[in-house]
Amino acid sequence: MNDNVIKVENLVKYFDGRCVLDGINLTVPRGCIYGLLGRNGAGKTTIIRILLGTEPATRGRTLLLDTESTNLSPKIRGRIGCVAEGHNLIQSYMVSRLIKLCKDLSLQWNDESFDNLMETFRLPRDRRVKDLSMGMRAQLNLALAMAIEPELLILDDPTLGLDTVARRQFIELAIEVIQKQDRTILFCSHILSDVERIADRVGILAAGKLVVDCPLEQLKERVKKLRIIFPEIPPENLYLTEIINQQIQGREMTITVANWNRQKQAILETFKPSSCTEIPMSLEDIFIECTKPEQEVITSS
Amino acid sequence: MKRFTNCSVRILATGFVVLTLVSILLFWIRFFCSVSLSERMPDEIKSTVIEPSGLLPLDFENDPNLERRSRASAQIRSEPLLSLGITEYFDSISPGGRRSRVILFQSEKNWVYFDNKSGQFVFRFIETEIMPDSNKMEREVQFYIGPEGISEIPDKTLGRFIEPIADSSKFKTSLWKSGEIILYDKKLRRFFKIGLKPKTFVKGPELDTDDTHEPVQIGLLDKNQLLLQLAWLPPEFKISKLYPNQTAVWNYPGLPTKAVPSSETGQYLLILDKTGRIDLLDKETLTFAAAAGRLPETAALFGSEGPATPKNTLSYAAKTIYLGATRSIEDIRDKEPSESEEETLRYAGLIAASLSRDGTALAVIVYDEKGQMKKRTYRTSSRRSNTVTTAYFGSPWAPASSIVKYLAESLHPPVLSIASYLTASSFEAAAGHRALFLLPNSFIAMKARDDRSRMPFRAMFALLLMTPAILLALWLAARILKDASTLGLSRNARRFWVIATLAFGLAGYITYRLSRPKVTLVTCANCGKPRRTDMDKCHRCGSKWDVPELTPPAWRVLNG
Amino acid sequence: MFTLIKREIRDHVVYFIAGIIFAGTITGISLSVIFEFSTLYRGMDKLMSHLGIVIAITSIVIFGFFAMGAAQMYTDKNRRISAFLSTLPVTRSRILIARMITGVLAILTLLVPLAIVSIILLRIFTPPIPLFSGVVFEVFTAMFLTAFACYCIGLQAGWNSSSLVPALDGLVLTFILVSLILVKGFGLHIIMILLLFIAASLIRIWHLFTSTSL
Repeated sequence: MNDNVIKVENLVKYFDGRCVLDGINLTVPRGCIYGLLGRNGAGKTTIIRILLGTEPATRGRTLLLDTESTNLSPKIRGRIGCVAEGHNLIQSYMVSRLIKLCKDLSLQWNDESFDNLMETFRLPRDRRVKDLSMGMRAQLNLALAMAIEPELLILDDPTLGLDTVARRQFIELAIEVIQKQDRTILFCSHILSDVERIADRVGILAAGKLVVDCPLEQLKERVKKLRIIFPEIPPENLYLTEIINQQIQGREMTITVANWNRQKQAILETFKPSSCTEIPMSLEDIFIECTKPEQEVITSS
Repeated sequence: MKRFTNCSVRILATGFVVLTLVSILLFWIRFFCSVSLSERMPDEIKSTVIEPSGLLPLDFENDPNLERRSRASAQIRSEPLLSLGITEYFDSISPGGRRSRVILFQSEKNWVYFDNKSGQFVFRFIETEIMPDSNKMEREVQFYIGPEGISEIPDKTLGRFIEPIADSSKFKTSLWKSGEIILYDKKLRRFFKIGLKPKTFVKGPELDTDDTHEPVQIGLLDKNQLLLQLAWLPPEFKISKLYPNQTAVWNYPGLPTKAVPSSETGQYLLILDKTGRIDLLDKETLTFAAAAGRLPETAALFGSEGPATPKNTLSYAAKTIYLGATRSIEDIRDKEPSESEEETLRYAGLIAASLSRDGTALAVIVYDEKGQMKKRTYRTSSRRSNTVTTAYFGSPWAPASSIVKYLAESLHPPVLSIASYLTASSFEAAAGHRALFLLPNSFIAMKARDDRSRMPFRAMFALLLMTPAILLALWLAARILKDASTLGLSRNARRFWVIATLAFGLAGYITYRLSRPKVTLVTCANCGKPRRTDMDKCHRCGSKWDVPELTPPAWRVLNG
Repeated sequence: MFTLIKREIRDHVVYFIAGIIFAGTITGISLSVIFEFSTLYRGMDKLMSHLGIVIAITSIVIFGFFAMGAAQMYTDKNRRISAFLSTLPVTRSRILIARMITGVLAILTLLVPLAIVSIILLRIFTPPIPLFSGVVFEVFTAMFLTAFACYCIGLQAGWNSSSLVPALDGLVLTFILVSLILVKGFGLHIIMILLLFIAASLIRIWHLFTSTSL
């Protein structure tokens, strides 16, 4: 059995002449919690939809549990739990009817676990789905996805609409899933603190490419933000590669560099800076740096 | 390979759907054009008369006391709905219809049907007996007729008819009155005569193996009788001047007492052959007596469509004419014609009429008692006086209808038009009016049936008729080729579509538009031409992908 | 599969109810006309003439099946029902098959009672001879196939259209297809053409539904 639960190979997607994904390669190993990040319109939801087979790829291929996304059998689908963006449920149905439908169609269903979740979230069964608030729909969606005890959980902005308490409950639920052996989660979220808390691997989409794909700890190690003070005007060119961002203010230069290593350190030291201090970055800071629209050198006097 | 097969199946499926819908649409256009043509046909084409008919002595016909001479006339009746399949279907399943095994159904107690299982005819009727006390007693009688006899109980020893034809005239009138029916079996090649009341059964001799007779209809010879009316009218005299007390036409000295234009009485039965020949069957001996004539050949738009046969005429009818004995003036004054005079009826001849496949040409013919043609009418001598040409182009709005019909035929797939040319004579005439995919009534098929011109000229003329269709197909194929090249379809695919469009014309083009890959085209950064997004390389310049509108950063933080 | 079929039936139960009501109405009218007449033959005559009216009206009703097919797909697309179902252990093919089975059942709901009543009336009012033998089978088979073909056109129109107007294009095609009954009658020819047409339509619909985005 392949260790990679999700595999994306050279994925390209065009929407009416506009390229959204330009050759994405991605693998998610078994047992991994993968946080897929990107700005609005970066293509996160598109990747998930292509993975689930609801959107055809323009080029490339995607595999889920060793099966092509376009040929997912009911058995494979039964092993995948999904919370789609916007909480796509059948709005006109009563909650009870929707639950019955999901239960009848599922290959396995944990009644106890589901009932617990329904109680925890305090969801009514006698109302129509469209009459629920957005947060309640999110919770219902989540409960339905968790009830089938999925091997792979795909969550597309699952906490959208959830209040703080519900969000915390979701995170704890996700951790509970993580603790089960061989469970894998792929999720997208804009709340990076949540991602930082549970993800062990992160991917960042920018300009149609996957610019970051590594374990979270490694990311923090490899992307460095430095404040460098030069004795005189900073040099125009530091001869450093992979500069993400650079800002000069007087004698002070702030640079963000990817794949910081000793070689780059040595190059920097040749310019004999007065001081060089590292600015700690959270995942959110790294994300902002990586996805800033104008990644240029900014000079201000 | 699987993908190719799936794609081919999908294209074929789309093609069939398109072809069916386009064919139905074109059918209705052609149908309304045909209706328009038949409604606007001049009266002189819709009816034709032979006067005098030629069956009576000439001195009678030339008698100055005649107001009107004897005439044989035929008239086309415009019934466009009759040509439709739904009408034909209900007609064929009704008693006496083509597909019905019930030959006659007068009431729940009076019927005749052919039992496929036993291969026998079953008759049921009410027999009325007059009792000694003058009361009428009715009893239901049912009996079974096979090629070996007749019985009141089902009996396997009666044998099996295999492909029987019954004398349908008996079933149109009072069956029980005449009490005699003649049957023919195509496989057994014999005639059978059954007397219903006396319950007699006569088996005729088997036709010799080298006998070329192939009867298809016996007795009352007609087809699609609602479309064609055939009549024979006796002469009309100015009787009031000569015999003021007499009102009956027939009571004129020297004139036969009656003319019976049917086969109800008389010693002969009409037999229609597959070739269109009409023979006389002697009812006593159940053998062929003589040839009575043939169905008349009709005019055609192109040359001639050959001899008229039951298959290639839309409608036909034939009637025998029997004449009674002549009477003296005293007999006429003093007596009414008696029943015994029926026995002296003599066969005088045959009148027959045919209507062409497309319903525009009518012909009538008169044969004498020896089977010699006396008179015929259809105007064939010159193209200008050709009735069919007049029907298509002579009357007001007829040219417009004909042109629209022609254009509708041109929109039909060229390959099917060619198939229509090749199979022009294969279809039964009435079926041509309901044809959807092959068009036996198209101008091309009409030319194919022109047996007066030689094959190479026929074929060239047909190609000429197909010129608009060919030009349209070429233009559409060129458009498809251009689009397919833009889309980057493979050479084989382009070839396939060009050939398909040349073969299927408009239907092929529509199929292409529905089946073409729905891909986005973007401008290639290398050659500047549109290229497909679902291909790794530009199908024009072969360059790899470059998405200039996206400017990803040069750095990557990846870990394999 | 049974769950999916049940779901479809429940979501489109109005068509089943309409079919039952319509079948009942036609049956009631036909029976009342037939029983007015005391003699067999006059009844038969009336039956045949009214059969024509019944067939004409039922042909019009067939357009209702186009509407059903269009409604099923349009609703699915609008409410993203298949998108939701795809997250469950269900393939698109099964969703489509369940939908079509529902369509078939709706058609049968209308036609089977009419066919049964026709057979019973023919049995009661005709002598034991093959009068109009095979008619009921041929007529109702052709009507079933026509209804199903119109339903298939409705499915395609509903899936392809994002609003009402493009769906009306499909209605025009339905009219054209139903007119095939007038062209060919009810015999073997129309059954063959319709079977091929339905097979071709099903291939198209299957490809459309399984390859486009949900």
